Amino acid sequence: MRYCRANRRQASNIRGPHSALTDFLASNNISAAQIRDDYGRRVAEVARQAAEEEEDADLDMEEPEYEPTPEPDSPEDKAKKRKRQQAIEKIKKSKEFARRKARRTGEPDDDDDALANEMMDENQRPTPGQLGNCEICGKRFTVTPYSKTGPSGGLLCAQCSKNHVGGDKKAAPKKRSSGIGRRQNQSNLLDGLTSQGTQSLLETCIKKVAENISDVEEFGDLPPPVMHRLSQILARRRAITSTTLDLFLRPQNKEINIYDCAKLDTDDYHKILATMPNLTRLNLRFVTPMKDRIFQYMMDRDMNIQDLHLDSPNLVTDEVWRQLFTRLGPRLRSLKLWNLDSAFDDETVEVLGKNCTQLQRLKLKHLNKIGDKALESISTMKTLQHLSLHVSQETTPELLLQIVTELGPNLRSLSLEEFYFADDSLLELIRDKCQHLKKLRLAINAEFTDKALANLFRGWSNPPLSFADFHRVRDVDMANPAGPPEPVGLASDGFVALMEHSGARIESLNVASCRHISYAAYEEAFGEHKRYPELKYLDISFNGMVDDYLAQCIFRCCPALTRLVVFGCFKIRDINIPRGVAVIGTVGAKLTIDGITQKELV
Amino acid sequence: MADSTQSEFVTLVSCDGFEFIIPRSAACISGTIRRMLDPASKFSESLSGRCVLENLSGVVLEKVCEYFMYNEKHKDQANVPDMEIPAELCLELLMAADYLDT
Repeated sequence: MRYCRANRRQASNIRGPHSALTDFLASNNISAAQIRDDYGRRVAEVARQAAEEEEDADLDMEEPEYEPTPEPDSPEDKAKKRKRQQAIEKIKKSKEFARRKARRTGEPDDDDDALANEMMDENQRPTPGQLGNCEICGKRFTVTPYSKTGPSGGLLCAQCSKNHVGGDKKAAPKKRSSGIGRRQNQSNLLDGLTSQGTQSLLETCIKKVAENISDVEEFGDLPPPVMHRLSQILARRRAITSTTLDLFLRPQNKEINIYDCAKLDTDDYHKILATMPNLTRLNLRFVTPMKDRIFQYMMDRDMNIQDLHLDSPNLVTDEVWRQLFTRLGPRLRSLKLWNLDSAFDDETVEVLGKNCTQLQRLKLKHLNKIGDKALESISTMKTLQHLSLHVSQETTPELLLQIVTELGPNLRSLSLEEFYFADDSLLELIRDKCQHLKKLRLAINAEFTDKALANLFRGWSNPPLSFADFHRVRDVDMANPAGPPEPVGLASDGFVALMEHSGARIESLNVASCRHISYAAYEEAFGEHKRYPELKYLDISFNGMVDDYLAQCIFRCCPALTRLVVFGCFKIRDINIPRGVAVIGTVGAKLTIDGITQKELV
Repeated sequence: MADSTQSEFVTLVSCDGFEFIIPRSAACISGTIRRMLDPASKFSESLSGRCVLENLSGVVLEKVCEYFMYNEKHKDQANVPDMEIPAELCLELLMAADYLDT
């Protein structure tokens, strides 16, 4: 600052006499000369505007008085006319005129004068706030920005505007672009809604309530399943906030399920725990601001939480996790955790394994910090009946063997995802040890051989599975797309064996990307006399050889089917879909549902 | 007796005495009403073809019947839009739908 001022002084060394005020103003960066100039400019501006307005006013006066009954002979009128002519000339030179003219070329009404006249009339219309006469009823009214233009260019009063608009609407019904319908259809399909008939009244009402959630003060006596569904829909709409959360807080209820907590903060979790002291099941997803003190509170109140399902509580430290398991671990029945990267390490899993002596269900998905040691601890938890693991670190396959050896006889469901190095020995062990499995997921692996998979299912003493997921169990070699001669992954033989073993009970089957299952294997599995009475969900995405014929075979064999996922099955071109089945992922196919062709579904 | 079980129309009565006479097939979209009217059940409703729904008011039952007819009318169509429900009625209707199993 000081530097600048010094500079300025140097630059203006020579000056005439000046007052103390000028000096002071100069020191504050205000120049007397500039003030004078500004003032002069303002005065000139006002004068010019006044002159213009006078001219405009003249033109305004002229139109209503003289246009309806032109009397060209009066000399006064000639003057007005000349003025109008001048104004029109001016308009013709304006940029706006050029722009409109450019837009108009090609239309029959390509007349400069008419256009200029029209613009002139537009300019002369009263601006919002002024009074004007309605073009239709002649009533005097205040012009607003919403006033409509009448049939011959004048403005209309509110009443006439309304009537006029009504006429317009009838003439041109609202057009929906075909794109919206298609998107909506695809979205419904992904939700598993088939396009036929109406939705249930319950579902319609739940949707309506979700739409108007901000007006709802209390839910009243809604039964828990309805509350659960509402919670799901609201979460999907991302409408769960502190205020909507209150609707779900019922002191007498024992469980709470909130699938999107992203808009809640730490105090809201406090509120949940404080208002629902009987809570046994706490199921919260996207719980980013969950902090240590919430867990501390849970421990201080000695809450009887039996089912703890949390997605991404990343601000909770390892120390507090361990405390939680030490204090409340013995009463936990199920623990499901997703997406943890900054805490929850091997040591915490060790504490978990030691203290959660009643745990029956354990699901750990996308946990970054756990590895071999955690698997070792898990293998000691003999009470587990349901185990689901998807860890991010690379682990040694021997530990999986250990887990299956130790826990296998007790397991009802086993889900192992992305264990790249698990191999055939694991399959053999599953065959030996597991006799009560209902759900088996061995996904994302390129080591299992088709032979070993077929061997697992042939003569396995385990009863039929109701849930099987082998997605992305296949050989990946860009140089050899057909795969090795001895098939790797779930291929033809394994698939047929799986369907033979579990066909009677299977409800959900995912063989996405198992691309070495042959056409013949599909034909065999979905042959004429095969029936899979309970199969509801089937995912055969990226099984490229499935064509229209096979799809029809699938429909024939699976009477209970509700969803068929066929992303990347480009040979499906034209199929007849039975009622109640949602086919997801077709591209450009012609779908006929129960005799109705659904072009817009495509 | 045999007549009423076979009759094409049934009567639904609200708690405040409004009666709605609608086709049997439409009313049987509701699991609760279907079971009430099931001849095998030998409920008095199945004999008389008249269901008194004590916990539904006339306003709600009217809307429910509207839904029954809407559903009946559109059951073979694709991409049916949802029925219009006034916002102030939707919580009550939700309870009714839950009770009626529709």
